[in-house]
Amino acid sequence: MTASALFPSLLRAAGGKTVDVGVASAASPAERARKAVALVGGMKSFVSRGDVVVLKPNIGWDRTPEQAANTDPEFVVAVAEMCLAAGAGSVRVFDRTCNDPRRCYVNSGIKDAVEQFAKKNRVEDALRIYHVEDRKFVRTSIPNALSIKEWDLYRDALEADKIVNLPIAKHHSLAGITLGLKNMMGIMGGNRGQIHYRLSECLVDVHRRVPVALTVIDAGRVLVRNGPSGGSLADVKSFGKAFASRDVVAADAIAAEKIFRLAPGDVGHIGKAMESGLGVSSVGQIRLVEG
Amino acid sequence: MKTTRTLRRASQWVVFLLFVFLFLNTEYKDNDVLPYAVNLFLRLDPLMAGAATLAGRALIGMVWPALVTVGLTILLGRFFCGWFCPLGAVIDAADATVFRKARKIRRKDMVPESWRRYKYLILFFLAASSLFTLQWVFLFDPISILIRTFTVSVFPALNFVIHGIFDGLYRAPGPIPAISEPVYGFLKSHFLAFEQPVFRTSAIVGLLFLGILAMERYQRRFWCRNLCPLGGLLALVGRFGLFRRRITEAGCTRCGLCESNCRMAAIGGDVAVTDHGECIECMDCQATCPEEVIHFSGTEGRKPAAVDLTRRGVLASVALGAVTVPFFRVAAHGKAPDPLLIRPPGALPEGEFLARCTRCGECMRVCIANGLQPTWFEAGIEGMWSPILVSRIGYCEYNCTLCGQVCPTGAIRRLFLPEKRKTKLGLAYVDRSRCLPWAGQSDCIVCEEHCPTWSKAIVFREERTQTARGEWRMFKKPYIDEDLCVGCGICETKCPLTDRAAVLVTSRGETRSTGVLAK
Repeated sequence: MTASALFPSLLRAAGGKTVDVGVASAASPAERARKAVALVGGMKSFVSRGDVVVLKPNIGWDRTPEQAANTDPEFVVAVAEMCLAAGAGSVRVFDRTCNDPRRCYVNSGIKDAVEQFAKKNRVEDALRIYHVEDRKFVRTSIPNALSIKEWDLYRDALEADKIVNLPIAKHHSLAGITLGLKNMMGIMGGNRGQIHYRLSECLVDVHRRVPVALTVIDAGRVLVRNGPSGGSLADVKSFGKAFASRDVVAADAIAAEKIFRLAPGDVGHIGKAMESGLGVSSVGQIRLVEG
Repeated sequence: MKTTRTLRRASQWVVFLLFVFLFLNTEYKDNDVLPYAVNLFLRLDPLMAGAATLAGRALIGMVWPALVTVGLTILLGRFFCGWFCPLGAVIDAADATVFRKARKIRRKDMVPESWRRYKYLILFFLAASSLFTLQWVFLFDPISILIRTFTVSVFPALNFVIHGIFDGLYRAPGPIPAISEPVYGFLKSHFLAFEQPVFRTSAIVGLLFLGILAMERYQRRFWCRNLCPLGGLLALVGRFGLFRRRITEAGCTRCGLCESNCRMAAIGGDVAVTDHGECIECMDCQATCPEEVIHFSGTEGRKPAAVDLTRRGVLASVALGAVTVPFFRVAAHGKAPDPLLIRPPGALPEGEFLARCTRCGECMRVCIANGLQPTWFEAGIEGMWSPILVSRIGYCEYNCTLCGQVCPTGAIRRLFLPEKRKTKLGLAYVDRSRCLPWAGQSDCIVCEEHCPTWSKAIVFREERTQTARGEWRMFKKPYIDEDLCVGCGICETKCPLTDRAAVLVTSRGETRSTGVLAK
């Protein structure tokens, strides 16, 4: 099934329940983030006053923003700012990284950007970025799991009122591509390599246990080859978009289609997520809101 | 007259705190380049500098501060041991807090006076051995011992204990975490390790160190009097120093207080006689003299006592140092080195590397992924405690150059990032009988995902493989491009097989041996 043949059906709401996916184009990462969130109703429809919000960007790699292996720092800051403006009591930013955590936090530019913003706006207490610590992983059972009946998940994510998922869209050697579903691996402890054996099922399990309130996908720069770590600017394409949705499956399906010309069935974990009823079960249930 | 002793004590504290400060800052702190010379103490050490220079057959520019130590010792005598040596400070602290009471009855004959000569014999042994390219100084050098012990044993153990306490409090009920967590946060950001370090040989290194301290039970400054070859070297250099103990004999009542208080037993027979090679100028005698007739100044004073050495002893130690070298040189690992002996990026070829390596553990301390570990015997007995990359513990971070920045003798060359990224530590290979996709078990490809080079040294191809049940399935199988692989070992670290990885690094193709840089 080619994606372009499938695409018109996206616009038709498949009767009854539909889910919005905002597709924003703008010049800067911050504008794209703001516009995408505005297109799906604004941050106030996701974050309530006093909420403890976890922002989960991709900070997985010791790479610079230009190399597009991590979420853009401006993008992260813009979403953090929206959360605070919507009344969030506190906003916590972290990721369990693949390279050395300190190097990833520094060279991704995210640590500095978040801390600078917090300092400038005097919200150091409300907005914090910190490293994941082993002792805060909690062995968590996952009811009706497809693959992992229990796993160590990060306490702060389990206890948060809302999770805002901030992936960067990129190529991924095993998963094909990585978007919102895959990004939540960052709250998992233990030997994550092992979930690669049944990646699709594991991702569904994690999302079942820790539902995401909002997914905003950074597709400003897109690593189109040699993902997820990349390393060469030759593999990075400028795409200039952002996607947002309350339904991570819908956001991923649209981003896969728009960026990589892939239908849900072409990407194992998105197909599996649809099939398992984690979010929308077909692209027909998605309403595109472009801006 | 207590001012100078107070100064000496202050100096010991300041120097020890500086030592700790530099130690704690031998770490990645959000900056690719360490801002100051964290290896200062090693570079001030003339024993290490001399041995590395002799054994390595090279003038090592960065050890110039050792000349300052030598110069000051010529002028001032063996002040280093009393005022500056951080191991000396630790020994004094251990003595004052633990061992002084245990040593209640000071019996002079508990350790024979003649043992003093061993430090010289060790020194001559080490010098002769170094002259013939075999460098053993790391076994006895106090600075090397202290940094190695802190790196491999003391700091990890302290970190472990403090973490254990605060982890317990963190899980405690009620208001306890609210109190303990801010304290923990402060400790974490200033003193504790980013992640719990683990090291091979940790227990033995710790026990050896405790052994050095425990000798205080039998004699004050046992280590410094009898064994420390740096002390021996400085005693030889400093025995004619201008700053020396003397007594205004007219006022002296011969009470003997100075003699019984001397931590080095440098005052002998007659209280007016000082062994200037043994006196470390701690100023205790001056501070405790009731008649205030002891001075440290000027050039007066009696002629130094002869160093208590027999010609036979000296010849024997020199001969032993020289004669044993060939025995080590004909060890088989010279011809067939351990394939897992992966050296840090920028390490010199093995012979020069071992000649220069001080085994101080600075590189292991700074290694961001904890991958650099002390060897046991992978490099022979003479290679013990030299750094080896153990990828199952931690890998070499692709964009990191810290180990070359802290090496005090250039055994690990300082590399800039472009060269570092092309420096091969070895090559990875896939154990196809264990690798999940190769063995028809499942997809995985975690190694390819983490491979940091561009383009990737680990690539995968989708190929049919028969599973154990006889079905043919497609699997993504990893292949290694040996031109691109730098042997960083991240594939081995991250391989999800929990025991032995299915992708492993051996030293084949290492740049320091082949001299050929990757394309």
